[in-house]
Amino acid sequence: MSDENNIEPKVNHEKKYSIFQITINLTIACFISGLIIGVVYFFTAPVAVKTAAGIKTDAMKSLVISAQKFTPIKGKAEWFTAEKDGKVIGYVVPAESKGYGGAIKMLVAVTPQGKIIEFTILESKETPGLGDNASKDPFRNQFKGKAVKDLEVTKDPTKANNIQAMTGATISSKAVTKGIKEAVQEVTQFVGRK
Amino acid sequence: MKELWNIFKKGIIEENPIFVLALSLCPALAVTSSALNSLVMGLAVLFVITANNMVVSVTRKLVNPTVRVPVYITSVATIVTVVQLVLQAYLPALNKALGIYLALIVVFAIILARAEVFASKNKVIPSMFDGLGMGCGFALGLLLLGIIRELIGAGTLFGIKILGSWYNPALIMVLSPGAFILIGYMVAGFKMWINHSEKVKLERGEM
Repeated sequence: MSDENNIEPKVNHEKKYSIFQITINLTIACFISGLIIGVVYFFTAPVAVKTAAGIKTDAMKSLVISAQKFTPIKGKAEWFTAEKDGKVIGYVVPAESKGYGGAIKMLVAVTPQGKIIEFTILESKETPGLGDNASKDPFRNQFKGKAVKDLEVTKDPTKANNIQAMTGATISSKAVTKGIKEAVQEVTQFVGRK
Repeated sequence: MKELWNIFKKGIIEENPIFVLALSLCPALAVTSSALNSLVMGLAVLFVITANNMVVSVTRKLVNPTVRVPVYITSVATIVTVVQLVLQAYLPALNKALGIYLALIVVFAIILARAEVFASKNKVIPSMFDGLGMGCGFALGLLLLGIIRELIGAGTLFGIKILGSWYNPALIMVLSPGAFILIGYMVAGFKMWINHSEKVKLERGEM
């Protein structure tokens, strides 16, 4: 051993590693990490799917409170009719638009006459405390009972019929309104065609 | 025992991650617009930093020093992903509240800093206490910012109205500039406090 040290005088206190050792070290670390995530995902994924489905039903129930049953509409993915005593009292449809921080995914409940019952934001990345407030009153309850023609964002408080923008979050206000407007238009089209 | 307490304690005031070390200021600005967000984020960071410190400490002799930073990042990313998966399945409301910020924990400077500065050189138990201390310091710092910003900027605390209708909320405090201004004052305040307490200690020592 001492001979070897003499042959290689370069060897000092700091150990040298070959590129192979370094690579294998990092590979093992990533492999273990992947393994852990895989195992956790295996156990949590089915639960997560169930939780997500539960949230969706709850969201629909909170949108159309008086509805007893929600039936998926054939040919329209993710569309549901809300029924009460066998009569369709509303449509629950998904809506999406581009907000300040990315896509805003919403669920909108519309009456067959094309008036908004209620909406909820499922997923958004709006600024907390500003654009994020779109899911809260007073912005949210402005939409109740409104038809397409009133769905314009305004900063003028005298235009009581329109949607008053949230202070500091005009882009979010416009995005939410646009998404809902499109959803209402689609429902009107769908009902008209029937 | 005293030693562990000292390791824990230093993270809260003396080496507070936000106000003294000035690390991870970006998330401190972004998430503290309300007290609840701050609290949830603080607790998430507390958990991740403690868990990561322990992992780094356990594996400190196995990890090749030339690739230690990528390995630490992998470790943080794994912990955060596991937290996210579990939250998605069992606490969806919390997951929604944390939103994108949960994934951002991966790149928090404070977590990597503690792994590098402390956990990679110390045993598991002290590393755990270091993580707990730093995590608590970070969480308390966030909570303090969140409470002040929400109170001044919206007149509420944890969503409950504290200040009556006479109060006209100063929206700037909820926006980013308010956070910059507030953090500036807090850093100055902490500096003054630490200077003062050092002076007191010195005077006592001389007497």
